[in-house]
Amino acid sequence: MLNGLNVEGTTPLHRMSVRTKLAILLVCGLALYAVSSLYILIPAFVIAAAIYFTTGLAFREAISRLKPILFTIMILLIATAYLTSIHEAAESFFRLMAIVLFAGAVTATTATGAFIDEITLLLQPLDRLGLVRAADVGLAFGLVLRFVPDIFNHYQSIKEAHRARGLKVRPLTILAPLIILTLKDADTIAMAIDARGFRRPREKPH
Amino acid sequence: MTTRDLVLIALFTAIIVVLGLIPPVTLGFIPVPITAQSMGVMLAGCIIGAKRGALAYVLLVLLVAIGLPVLAGGRGGLAIIQGPTGGFVIGWIVATYVTGLIAERLVKEGQSEVRQFAGFFIASIVGGIGVLYAIGMPWVTAVTGTPLSAVATGSLAFIPGDLVKAVIATLAARAVLAGYPLLHARA
Repeated sequence: MLNGLNVEGTTPLHRMSVRTKLAILLVCGLALYAVSSLYILIPAFVIAAAIYFTTGLAFREAISRLKPILFTIMILLIATAYLTSIHEAAESFFRLMAIVLFAGAVTATTATGAFIDEITLLLQPLDRLGLVRAADVGLAFGLVLRFVPDIFNHYQSIKEAHRARGLKVRPLTILAPLIILTLKDADTIAMAIDARGFRRPREKPH
Repeated sequence: MTTRDLVLIALFTAIIVVLGLIPPVTLGFIPVPITAQSMGVMLAGCIIGAKRGALAYVLLVLLVAIGLPVLAGGRGGLAIIQGPTGGFVIGWIVATYVTGLIAERLVKEGQSEVRQFAGFFIASIVGGIGVLYAIGMPWVTAVTGTPLSAVATGSLAFIPGDLVKAVIATLAARAVLAGYPLLHARA
């Protein structure tokens, strides 16, 4: 039910490792904030746009992903232009758009599985310190993806039940039944997980 | 962490995702439509408590970051976190924690219904509105350069809707507390 927002492809960005992409995103993000010259920001924006639109995303899809963010940015920057200066607003626009476009490109070229593997790797040091159990995080991810369709079905049933009784379907009347119905399963699910030994403590090597 | 807590956290994150699939509701006198998902912060804090609620949102933010369309409208991806509203996304985690802290302190089983309503309402307002905007708005200023005063003024338009959300969340949280109390339940 939940498909990742990435697309298949063989662009250089697709072939880069997750870690490299995230590192570049972070470094570029910070670097662009240190710069205020339009001579750097505008080319950065153009490069980011070029990368974003050549990831293999359908053009319409690429644009529709940008729309909500663009809308917010435009409103904020019109206010900025009015309150400070057009130059500052223009700087902000190119800087923000460059970062957003590159982040969008990273999302479009990285598979969900690759991200999860990377998160598990990054958690290893914390795992060794005993702060977080990397296996738990993977398990939690899996549980969310597994149960979203079921919970959506609960929601549909509750909606139908309301309609059948002639009740208007509003958040107020739907939320409590949906939450109770879902969370009641928690004990059964937890027992099933424990019964399968998914969270056995790691054996210490001798 | 007990397995039950882990499951509660993951299930609540899944609930928040499904809330994003519920169509938004427009109330006549409020300019911005209310999405069920935006009540998630208040609901998580008031129903499963501070620590579990915050972790449910950490999980949600991770899902957004790895490019799953879990936010209302099928949105997701790193661009949302890097963009101007990123502060609100990260702020959800802290806001849920604060809401949970207050709810855990103020609401006890055996109190009168009115006191429980009041407790949940205060928790929702302080955490779900106060703390959230306190984190989200400065982020907008830092990222876009829009003066904080302008951002604050613009955010005023959302407050009436947020108050309605707090009322709905309070009523729902109280109903859940009555039906399947989890706020104070530790395995």
